[in-house]
Amino acid sequence: MTEENKGADPKLIVAVQMLSIGIILLILSAVVLLVSRPGGMDHFIRLTFLISEVSILVVGLAFAVGGWIRYRRAKKA
Amino acid sequence: MQSDFIIIGLYLVLMFSAGLFFSRNIKNTADYFLAARSAPWFWIMGAIWATNIGFLHGYLAHGGAAYEWGLIQANFEWFQGPFGYIISGLFFIAFYWRAGVYTVPHFLERRYGSALSLIYNLAWIVIFIVTIAAEFYLGGIFLKNLLHIPFWPTVLVLAIVVGTYTLLGGLGAAIMMEFVQFIIMMLGTMPLLFILLHMVGGFAGIKNVLIGQWGVSAQYFTVLPDIHHPYGPGPWIVLGQCLVVTLGWCAGHQSMVQRNLGARSLYDAKFGYVAASIPKTLGAFLYIVPMIAAPIIFAGNGIFVERADASYGKLILNLLPSGMLGLFIAGLLSAGLSSISSVLNSTSTMVVKDIYERYLVKGRPDHHYFVAGRAATFVVIALSLLLVPIVLKVYLIMWLEQTLLAMVLGPFMGILMLAIFWRRANAAGSLVGFITGGVFAILLQQVFGVNIFFEISWWSFVVTSIVTVAVTLLTAKPRPEQLDGLTWESDFRAKLGEILEQRAVKNGMKIGDVPKPIIRRPRWYLNIKYWATAILLCQVALLLFFG
Repeated sequence: MTEENKGADPKLIVAVQMLSIGIILLILSAVVLLVSRPGGMDHFIRLTFLISEVSILVVGLAFAVGGWIRYRRAKKA
Repeated sequence: MQSDFIIIGLYLVLMFSAGLFFSRNIKNTADYFLAARSAPWFWIMGAIWATNIGFLHGYLAHGGAAYEWGLIQANFEWFQGPFGYIISGLFFIAFYWRAGVYTVPHFLERRYGSALSLIYNLAWIVIFIVTIAAEFYLGGIFLKNLLHIPFWPTVLVLAIVVGTYTLLGGLGAAIMMEFVQFIIMMLGTMPLLFILLHMVGGFAGIKNVLIGQWGVSAQYFTVLPDIHHPYGPGPWIVLGQCLVVTLGWCAGHQSMVQRNLGARSLYDAKFGYVAASIPKTLGAFLYIVPMIAAPIIFAGNGIFVERADASYGKLILNLLPSGMLGLFIAGLLSAGLSSISSVLNSTSTMVVKDIYERYLVKGRPDHHYFVAGRAATFVVIALSLLLVPIVLKVYLIMWLEQTLLAMVLGPFMGILMLAIFWRRANAAGSLVGFITGGVFAILLQQVFGVNIFFEISWWSFVVTSIVTVAVTLLTAKPRPEQLDGLTWESDFRAKLGEILEQRAVKNGMKIGDVPKPIIRRPRWYLNIKYWATAILLCQVALLLFFG
């Protein structure tokens, strides 16, 4: 097998994917929270909006941290 | 409104940037077309669902149909979809995966020879290009109507974003973005359901107004209606749509199958497909149930909806505050982009692996086909964009797509079932059966005026199966290499034989003296069959509750 045909490390691929997903979700949810004005929303709409946003933020954070740990491990290996 | 534009713009920039970042890791054709076979089951789950949900099959079209016809539209989410995912995950995917193929046509070529594979391949390439054009068109029209931004610049921006990450990153980038889109759709657009139910007094409140006060037919709340229903007669939904179209779609649609072929193990491929039926079921709460409540909101606010497929956009535009609206539009864009990227990646795979490498330019280094894959992606995007002005009418696109699907899916299910479950099925029988079934589907629609898509699919499936069996019995048996590991019977035998042979060689024993291997089963909570059973029971409960 030539150098050109040597494929990527599957663990690194998954780590990069997780990290990217986490960063995208973190940035997006943070910006949505910043540019929206939850104070002006109807009470029930505000509640659902905040639950939805915080959920995306938490998922993003989990993927970003998990992805970063996997990325460092894959790079070391 | 300004904050909504910021959110949408940021979302597209993040997609674009992440695609560029990821593409640095892609080095050869296995990375590009199968994501280095690295995807865990939850990637597969999110990617399959996001692939399935687009502008064409999701918020706009399905939501619009639910607004017009009612809960019957949920049969895709609560009946057929999960059924198709589970059956494909439990049975069909294993054959593709173990055969080590890149595409469904490649599997057909190994089992039935190149002629059938080529016809099937070309039919899907045409369907895919039309589908991408339709998704671009619907995305452009949706944003134009909602945000009053020009059609063509919008379509071009969408094409650049989705084209860049798919072209550079291949399946790995597509799966990654599809998972982001899965999260945004699931968590970002779910609040609409709760807001609407809160406004109209729950599901009982919707029924009270629509049936009690407006006199709407009870069939509006039925998932499987009787045979006289003009939009979807129940028996045809079960026979034609569920057993043929949906199963054919799940087992034969390259975009769906390719996500499984990129899994890191067969277990992940199977479990991912079965688990995808959970978001599929929840999908009805994103765009079907809210659209059943929508008429009450529209009537209460004096909103006029001129076309059903514009109803979802009107609903969120009039109901949601700024900021939240931006996230919803990002969610809807996610639906469209995920479908486009998956179809784009699959089309380039089929063009390069099944046509270019096999018939046009053989025996070149791997890097050549890797570059060809990227070039094919670019050409497919360009062709789709060229097709947009030609098929500017949505109904023409839908008609073309449905006609082509009816011609392909019925016959495909016929030959696939026979390929796996009947060792005698051969190349000549399948080729004649497939062509006859396709021609029969056209005749039914064009000459006999049958307009129910599921009915056409069912009869073309039946005709294909009969003709394939008849011609097969009159012609020669298939060669052993056309059966090895590709049929239900030979699959288990081959695997067991291989294990026994390896152990005999290792221990210097005769193969008959080697003790049979103990088959290890996964822990109960990771057992795919238990999950499949639990999900199917949930479907039954939903059908019983909603009728």
